[in-house]
Amino acid sequence: MAIDHFLRNSATSWMSNEGEHSDIVMSTRVRLARNLAEFRFPYAFTDEEAKKVDERVSAILKEDREPPEDFTHIDIQETPDLKRQILVEKHLISPLLAKGEHSGSVLLSTNEELSVMINEEDHLRIQSLQPGFRLQEAYEKADSLDTFLEKKLAYAFHETYGFLTSCPTNTGTGMRASVMVHLPALTMTRQIDRIIPAISRLGMVARGSYGEGSEALGNVYQISNQTTLGMSEHEILQELENITLQLIEQERRARRAILEQSPSALEDRIYRSLGILTHARLLSTEEAAKCLSDVRLGIDLDLINDMDMSVLNELMIFMQPAFLQHYAERPLQPNERDRARAKLFRERLVNDHDKQEGEDSA
Amino acid sequence: MVCEQCHERPATVTVTQNQQGEVTERHLCHVCAAENHHIFSLFDQSPFGINDFLSNWLPVQHHPAMSPRKSETVTCPACGFSFAKFMKLGKFGCAECYETFSPQLDDMFRRLHNGHAEHKGKVPLSFGRTIKIRKEIDELRRQMQEAIADEQFEEAASLRDRIKGLNAQLDAGGEADGN
Ligand SMILES: [Zn+2]
Ligand SMILES: [Zn+2]
Repeated sequence: MAIDHFLRNSATSWMSNEGEHSDIVMSTRVRLARNLAEFRFPYAFTDEEAKKVDERVSAILKEDREPPEDFTHIDIQETPDLKRQILVEKHLISPLLAKGEHSGSVLLSTNEELSVMINEEDHLRIQSLQPGFRLQEAYEKADSLDTFLEKKLAYAFHETYGFLTSCPTNTGTGMRASVMVHLPALTMTRQIDRIIPAISRLGMVARGSYGEGSEALGNVYQISNQTTLGMSEHEILQELENITLQLIEQERRARRAILEQSPSALEDRIYRSLGILTHARLLSTEEAAKCLSDVRLGIDLDLINDMDMSVLNELMIFMQPAFLQHYAERPLQPNERDRARAKLFRERLVNDHDKQEGEDSA
Repeated sequence: MVCEQCHERPATVTVTQNQQGEVTERHLCHVCAAENHHIFSLFDQSPFGINDFLSNWLPVQHHPAMSPRKSETVTCPACGFSFAKFMKLGKFGCAECYETFSPQLDDMFRRLHNGHAEHKGKVPLSFGRTIKIRKEIDELRRQMQEAIADEQFEEAASLRDRIKGLNAQLDAGGEADGN
């Protein structure tokens, strides 16, 4: 399979809107860091060693495996910069791997749910992506790929310290499990300001992306485990699951409270945002993310009924700069991007009857 | 870790800025973070800045004979990383670094991992067998000491024989009898 399969702006399974709590938990990711015993780690190895690591791991994943899973090998240094950025925007590779400082690659499963980055900070970074709230399922998929690889590769493993990684924050299980949560009501009511420090006291980390305003971009936060040593994978997943469930409960409570106290103000805010997304001619990332969050909330609260949530999940990904430029087939200046972004939203969101208006200046 | 901007509140968020392809990370409190801009890349951030952590952490000297200076100059024979380089970069150069720097690591891991310094999770199959045997031996040794303390010498002797048997299995490369 060619790299172009992964650059299309069409939906893939992990962007879908399936499963329990998918109104609040957008996606789940589990990542396992592994190194080969025989080679020095990426901060110390030579490019020759890097190539050998890549060849060895890739050869194994190209063999027939049980269950069969097709992996496409993408060499990072041979990939043009814009295409690398698209893979970053889709969360399929990390910004560090995209830099291409030494020989590295990514092996991607056709449905994009499993990937193995080679020579990022560690020799292997096994990543499993799932839509919605699916920690166990995401872990099982990463774990079974890891078990398959481990039969053919000698991992750097220590009796006391567990899996040895470049960074001491990953030593032990080498596992980072995370969920992306949409918390508009907790953000609007400012409760998030006390929740974030509380989560960090429980050995987990909550983070948002911050834009010009004081709210996290798109009201989206990532919750992940901080501890990788001294707890089993199962215990870590269980704790993350418990904390996420509590967060979901608090968000639902905050949503009900806002809906009871100021229904018209909330409805107005949601419909204004829908108006912007379907009619604006210039849309910045910030504004688009804010409006997407409002519309998403509108769908969750049944105030908007004729819109598919998975389209919003896709737009979050496809509104980013590299995607916009890939589809414009030319580099775009920031103001041109805002124009292209607005056009993308109109095309994807506008209903048939007012489609003509959406296309007039396109 | 304290917020890099106000130096008052604890840093709870990592803000990634991407300007002309140059990615920088800052560790800020929730209030200061809100004043900064940037783009989505939530999944790709590490939980906190290991460099900041290490620059504020002074390793405890476990070996009185080893002066602080000496530990700084300990160098990994496999990759050439000195302890000072590990501290500066916040990253190990190879698997051997873990052995080389091990006197300093317990304390560091405890601080990083909520008081823990020993792995409790998945074990690769190839290591699993020998580790399991070693853990069993440790447990039997403990029981044997207890038996001796209680003057249960017959029990102690039988435990000693089981330990002997397990040690023989370890010498045979972890293969169980009859395999
Ligand atoms: Zn601050
Ligand atoms: Zn080393």
